[in-house]
Amino acid sequence: MTEIVLKNIRKAYGEVDVIHGIDLNVESGKFVVFVGPSGCGKSTLLRIIAGLEGVTSGEVLIDGHIVNDEPASERGLAMVFQSYALYPHMSVYKNMAFGLENSKMPREEVEKRVNDAAAMLQITQYLKRRPKALSGGQRQRVAIGRAIVRDPKAFLFDEPLSNLDAELRVTMRKELAALHAKLGGTMIYVTHDQVEAMTLANTIVVLNAGRIEQVGAPLDLYNNPQNTFVAGFIGSPRMNLVEATVERSDGGFQLAAGDSHVSVPNIEGIREGHHVTFGSRPEHIEIVDEADADIVASVDLSEQLGGETYLYCTPEGMPQLTVHQLGQLPIERGQNIHLRLNRACMHLFDSEGNVIVNGVSD
Amino acid sequence: MAHNSTAQSDEMSLGDRFNAVAAWPMRILFGLLDRPFRAIQRLFGIERMPYIFLLPNLAFFGLFVVVPLFINFAFSATGGTNLFLADRPFVGTEQYRYLADCGSYLDPSTCREDRFWRGIYNTITFVVFQVAFMVLFSLVTALILNRKIRGRGFFRAAFFFPVLLSPVVVALIWKWILLRDGVLNAGLTSIGLDRILFFVDPTWSMFWAIFVSIWAHMGFYTLILLAGLQAIPPDLYEAAEMDGTKRERIFWRITLPLLWPNLLVVIVLALIKAVQIFDEVFVLTGGGPGTATQFIVQYIYTTGFSNQVQNFGLAAAASVVLGVVLFALTLMQLAASRRREDN
Repeated sequence: MTEIVLKNIRKAYGEVDVIHGIDLNVESGKFVVFVGPSGCGKSTLLRIIAGLEGVTSGEVLIDGHIVNDEPASERGLAMVFQSYALYPHMSVYKNMAFGLENSKMPREEVEKRVNDAAAMLQITQYLKRRPKALSGGQRQRVAIGRAIVRDPKAFLFDEPLSNLDAELRVTMRKELAALHAKLGGTMIYVTHDQVEAMTLANTIVVLNAGRIEQVGAPLDLYNNPQNTFVAGFIGSPRMNLVEATVERSDGGFQLAAGDSHVSVPNIEGIREGHHVTFGSRPEHIEIVDEADADIVASVDLSEQLGGETYLYCTPEGMPQLTVHQLGQLPIERGQNIHLRLNRACMHLFDSEGNVIVNGVSD
Repeated sequence: MAHNSTAQSDEMSLGDRFNAVAAWPMRILFGLLDRPFRAIQRLFGIERMPYIFLLPNLAFFGLFVVVPLFINFAFSATGGTNLFLADRPFVGTEQYRYLADCGSYLDPSTCREDRFWRGIYNTITFVVFQVAFMVLFSLVTALILNRKIRGRGFFRAAFFFPVLLSPVVVALIWKWILLRDGVLNAGLTSIGLDRILFFVDPTWSMFWAIFVSIWAHMGFYTLILLAGLQAIPPDLYEAAEMDGTKRERIFWRITLPLLWPNLLVVIVLALIKAVQIFDEVFVLTGGGPGTATQFIVQYIYTTGFSNQVQNFGLAAAASVVLGVVLFALTLMQLAASRRREDN
């Protein structure tokens, strides 16, 4: 079991800073997912942990030891690459055995480890094949197998599923979760796909522009985003975020956006005239009668998926909202609908984008 | 906005006018060709038309490559000194037997045509050393140029420039350096050493023939190997690093096997080129001293064209022998290329 700690990690390429001082504690045995948009520095951070990139400043600690000056080969970590990085001229067996042979492990032990890993990943029948004779999914298993046989201190995954088709990705996702449960090792996983992050992680680290936006359990990030970036990034479809002005009303406040006024109770931290952003996930907006409505919106598009319906609608003076409803709704384009935001699941952010409150009802 | 669109339409109309002018000779040409080609197509059918289009090139290739090949073969079966084939007596395999008439094939002086055998032995010596060292130097240079070194672009260009020079220019440059009063000897004498008469000593002559030829051609092979090295995904090196692979083992187990298809092509191409060596060494050493650097192509040239008695038959027979060797090497090269494509 291995704990990985990052202390004030900075990384610059020439004049360009890509990582701006990251502190993070990856607890032993946890499945930690780095998630964020392209260019946010998540892969760079993983490569820094791996030892494939140096740091400009800061410390990387593995099990309490500073490893900044240790090369990748001596950190005892295994990495699964996005491109699989299998040696094309070697058989699957040789690919998996290569790292073990480097350490001059006895042949019987190498054979045992490779065969055990192959059996676990159901690739025993492909051991004699070259990588080019395998499908994408099989190659990915070989890449994972190559990591497993080394019995590493921790596994590092760099967008390992992004080259697979959607169906295979779902299958491999489940297998990775099962693998973590079985092996129990520390795993750090990089992805830009928040669904992968939500389904695999014990802990998600949301990165943006070289900074950590929030660290937490998947549902914690979903329920309690600390800023508009996390609110918008976690959850699919993304949260509706609307800029509004705070107005005083009977017994509380109302948030004015376009022609709509959304009433909220007294909330500490807001005052009349404040500019705020309120957020509501598509699944937290109900279609109601006119009398109970916060917002009236005209439907731009209705996506009927059978078991659920997505409505894309635009209220007067507001950006487009996404509404998720279970079942099949006979609503057509151009129709006006009346919407009510579930206050218990509504989020309020200040003008800087930082959270004021998650859930505005008493 | 209106102004812009007017300007655009003016520009367009200028372009259109240019196209119209440029197109009329083509229209006339197409008009002239249309009828005969339609007739040809009716005659042969549309599926045979590609062969019709290939015909001019094939005719050219046939006239200047295939026909001379057969003429050369025919010459090799004739004797005498007459130029025209019709005037030459048929001697069958006599020329080949003459070339092959040796007391011992290991000792050229026991052969009737000892210059031919000396040419062969010189060529073999040249090929073995030149190819081995050129491939080695090209590989080392490519490995260095593939790293992030300072001035990489400059060095890449510098190593390739000699390839652009004509063989005669290459030879003259090195002659200027190596002659009795050349730059190198001037350097040697200036530091108190004796002059070396490079082109008087057979070993030095062969050394410089090999050296200059490597200098002139290694840029080309370096380029092929550099392209091969750059085609190896960097991920593989990172994976090997994560696997705890030592640097030498990375070279032997990752780089070399993945570069091998390119290396094989380089080796075979260098072999073919080395067997054909003539021009730069001919200008540099003239084949001397004696016959120390006289190679097989020079033997063919002097026998057929520059000796007082121009023995076309013998030269043609030697050409056929050389042709067979080159053909075998070319087959190897094709096999190597195919293997590279398969990988």
